[in-house]
Amino acid sequence: MIEARSISKFFSVINEKGLAEGLTSVLNVSFTIPDKAIVSLLGPSGCGKSTLLEILAGLQAPTDGEIRIDGRVVLEPLPSTRKETEEYKRRYRFISPLANGVFIDRPKHDIAMIFQDYAVFPWMTCLQNVVFAMRLRSAGKKRSERPTRRETAEKASFYLNKVGLSGVDYKYPSQLSGGMRQRLALARALSVEPRIILMDEPFAAVDALSREKLQDDLLRLWAEAGAGTRPVSIVLVTHDAAEAVYLSDEVFVFSPGPGTIRNRVPVNTARPRARTDPELVEIRERIFAMLQYDIYQESDYSI
Amino acid sequence: MRNESYETRGIRRFFMEIGGFLKNALGNFFSPEFLSVLVPLLLLWEFLPRMGIIPESLLPRLSTVAATFVDMLRHKQLLLHILYSLGRFFAAFGIAVALAVPIGLLMGWNRKIRAFILPLWQLLAPIPPPAWVPMTIIIFGIGTGMHIFLMVIGIFYPVLFNTYQGIKDTDPRYLASARVFGASEFTLLRKVYFWHAFGSIIMSLKTGVSMGLVMLVIGEAYGGRMGIGYLLGQAKDYFLIPDMMVCMAVTGFIGWFLIEVLKYIEIKLAIWKVG
Repeated sequence: MIEARSISKFFSVINEKGLAEGLTSVLNVSFTIPDKAIVSLLGPSGCGKSTLLEILAGLQAPTDGEIRIDGRVVLEPLPSTRKETEEYKRRYRFISPLANGVFIDRPKHDIAMIFQDYAVFPWMTCLQNVVFAMRLRSAGKKRSERPTRRETAEKASFYLNKVGLSGVDYKYPSQLSGGMRQRLALARALSVEPRIILMDEPFAAVDALSREKLQDDLLRLWAEAGAGTRPVSIVLVTHDAAEAVYLSDEVFVFSPGPGTIRNRVPVNTARPRARTDPELVEIRERIFAMLQYDIYQESDYSI
Repeated sequence: MRNESYETRGIRRFFMEIGGFLKNALGNFFSPEFLSVLVPLLLLWEFLPRMGIIPESLLPRLSTVAATFVDMLRHKQLLLHILYSLGRFFAAFGIAVALAVPIGLLMGWNRKIRAFILPLWQLLAPIPPPAWVPMTIIIFGIGTGMHIFLMVIGIFYPVLFNTYQGIKDTDPRYLASARVFGASEFTLLRKVYFWHAFGSIIMSLKTGVSMGLVMLVIGEAYGGRMGIGYLLGQAKDYFLIPDMMVCMAVTGFIGWFLIEVLKYIEIKLAIWKVG
């Protein structure tokens, strides 16, 4: 379960006059995402939804508010007073607050993340990429409970097959197409059997046909995981309303300006769904109207 | 699982690698395009002095230089001099790389470490390595210690700065994706930073080789009893132009060969780039 309590994120940016300026990327966002759910964060680009996802993943500290995954705080918020700032700086003098540790591999939370531009390592083969993630994840266990090299490799191969990548174990990502690279990232995320998968516009860079196939595969894998012992919930950032409605149990519609949740739209249509289901089409149209309104009335919103 | 039939092992593998290396290194030289430039140049070298267009006392013929090369091998212990120089060079290269790469890694990885030591290198690096010669001679005396120190100075900075830059420019997406899976900083250094910077590290080693050779010749020419630079200095004192040319050619060959070796290592270790 992910709980976000009044998350805000400010940046300081340089404006065209060369002066520092405050930018509110995310403003006072709260939500709860239950286990086994697929939730989409939907909004036009630049509305802070990717920032929010990185805050969820613990890759950025929020300026204010707090994220808890299964009751554990992800990252403490940034300091706000001068005294706190000094203390914070002293504490993270040598090691960045994002670091997991200096020598010991240990994941902070049971999550996996998929990036928009895949972020699979080009210097590792597909199999090595998956094995790397799996070994990191099992590093926290006791020595006797850790799988052997051979078991890990077999399991990695199994997950590659599962996402529809067979026979590419020893190929490098540069030899794969964009869609296949995205599948590799998916295999890497699934292989660690996380409780939560965070996805940052995973299908944006893939052509339309592969995208539909990837979406269906994602739903299939999610359902398989849900039927097993380790159900997985997915947080999906997207700017494609159709994708959000087709995949999710609930869509959080963001409005730009400072990024805030504008509406929460539940999608209760039973799975498996058809893309042309009138219920889905209706919800999609409604979301479209909201987004359109926001874009046309943008000046009314901005502070 | 893994298809082993493509892999050869043992002595055959070794010869295959040698063959691959030679093909990579010499391929450029034996292309028809380059031969059409090289052969006329060599002919000019031979025939311009022979026909008296350039005085032979200034530009000895190719055949004279070749004969001198053989003569030096036989009577002037050229091979021994080369071995001395190479020995010093590798000692210095090893020391410089062993210092520069880890320091570069640490500086690129951590902002605090960078703040502590980067300005030091920024102050010291602009001093041209040959400017160290007088001080070095006074401190180390004339001998191997001085030669090695001068080469270390020459190799250290290019390797350090290129490594540091490569590490610092590591794509934060790769770091983020490894961190989400739980990678410690040490794992990040080993598995992400290093490989991301691998191209610039090899590049820096190539620059290091050429800088090292520069300092080799300078150092040995200033003092010593053995080495290519020493031979070169001797040739200068006795005005032996063919001997000078042999020394130049030998140094050039060593530099070319080492850089080809580094290129081959890069091809072998960075297969993902060739794809």
